[in-house]
Amino acid sequence: MNLFRSEEHLTRWLGGREPGATTTVMKLSELAHAWWDDRVSPDWVPHAREQNQAILDRLDLTGSFWRLA
Amino acid sequence: MEAPDLDLRRRTYAHMVEQGRAPVAGELGDADEVRAGWRRLHDEHALVLNPATDEIRMLNPFSAVPSAWRVHARERWWYANCAWDAFGVCAALHADGRIESSCPDCGEPFAVEVEGGKPDDESLLFHVLVPAAHWWDDIVFT
Repeated sequence: MNLFRSEEHLTRWLGGREPGATTTVMKLSELAHAWWDDRVSPDWVPHAREQNQAILDRLDLTGSFWRLA
Repeated sequence: MEAPDLDLRRRTYAHMVEQGRAPVAGELGDADEVRAGWRRLHDEHALVLNPATDEIRMLNPFSAVPSAWRVHARERWWYANCAWDAFGVCAALHADGRIESSCPDCGEPFAVEVEGGKPDDESLLFHVLVPAAHWWDDIVFT
């Protein structure tokens, strides 16, 4: 999971490999804050898969690529 | 996840946040019992162990070992495991921060300031290579 300077840099780095999913750094920050917000809380309990999937869905990270196991 | 393992996880993360580094097993109690608990937490994806040593490799979003992702927050430098986790360090600590890394293609370093949950550089592109269903197949690679 990386940050690239541009689409051109990503394409060159992939070197012909199939790309995964790409989104903006703004959305990445939203995702990270929704996903990790409670991680060091003393009251933390494990997230159910459905909770995590709901975070992705809410941010419009949908489709088979973003479907959790 | 049983209550004793939740408590072990809580103490493990508290050590990381307070000390700025992951604990070694003996710092949290009987080393064999702590490692056994960590192995159960590893199996539940609640932390990641180094398979060669049974010491902690990741307390997501924190990395217990030096990485390409450095985050300055709460007046300390932290290591994260990837771009997602770098923003996650700010999120988990509920703090503004500064993320430093480099473009994997050209090696050009960059820094992103995160204030109020928002990055100050919107030009960067986030790429995820591995589909979500396979993230935990090899979490270090992911």
